[in-house]
Amino acid sequence: MHAILQHMLLAQVSPQDITLELERLKRNFEFLSYGFTAAWVILIFYVLLMAQRGRKLKREIASLKAMLEEREKK
Amino acid sequence: MREKIMYILGAAAILLLVRDIHLIAGFPPEASQGYIFKIIFFHVPAAITGMIAAAAALVASALYLMTRNLKYDAAAVAVTEVGLAFLGINLVTGSIWGRVIWGIWWTWDARLTSALICWLLYASYLMLRHAIEEPTQRATFSAVYSIFAFIDVPIVFFSIKWWRTQHPQPVFWGGGSFPHDWSMVMLWNLIAFVMLAIVMTAVRLRQEETQRELDSLRRMAHAF
Repeated sequence: MHAILQHMLLAQVSPQDITLELERLKRNFEFLSYGFTAAWVILIFYVLLMAQRGRKLKREIASLKAMLEEREKK
Repeated sequence: MREKIMYILGAAAILLLVRDIHLIAGFPPEASQGYIFKIIFFHVPAAITGMIAAAAALVASALYLMTRNLKYDAAAVAVTEVGLAFLGINLVTGSIWGRVIWGIWWTWDARLTSALICWLLYASYLMLRHAIEEPTQRATFSAVYSIFAFIDVPIVFFSIKWWRTQHPQPVFWGGGSFPHDWSMVMLWNLIAFVMLAIVMTAVRLRQEETQRELDSLRRMAHAF
């Protein structure tokens, strides 16, 4: 950002232009952070979904095995 | 042993991603697009990972149809689900980039539309599986559908070459230039994404195996 500002000062742009450019860069950075956050959120959501599914499967298997063992005893 | 390898691979992928984010943060903003250009470091690797997953699903589906071995069906569903997550990342990050550069979240151009259709096709694959109860019938229908769905993948890939689109031409094979250190970070990010996808697929595959065990236990319970 510093290099861009320096370049703009050398090009003799008005202070208004500098403010506009700074705002554009700030907005740009904000959207970049949204993008990175979205990518991580999707990955974490999917991992959590898988973990939940894994727990459910383990629970169901344990209860079915217990049921079958009980039936065998009878 | 398999579990240990997966833990190591997963940890290495996370470490690589963290390192890459640190490096990306240090790169200067691109001359015309500014900071938002850096989204390419997630957008492109996610797309390539999704497409690799789609190709793997195609191979697994074809192998199932040739051998009728249900382990290939399990591999196909596992890799499709993981690929769908990465295609989702590709669509969302692309849309955010479009909002800044084009001023719109979405446009119905060839690349974007074919990518969305690709995502919908693979989402429908998962829905189709839920709709069929009988395992062998489900595996056969799903394998045929997965092979059909893959037709869209080369269309997504070549759409920017075949039609005039709003989407930028590829940086690496479209005559664009990319600094060497940026290319290396992009490559490492892709490797990290693929490693993460392998770990997720392995976990999902294990769940499919558990599901099959559960189904056989249920059949036993009914037989009693």
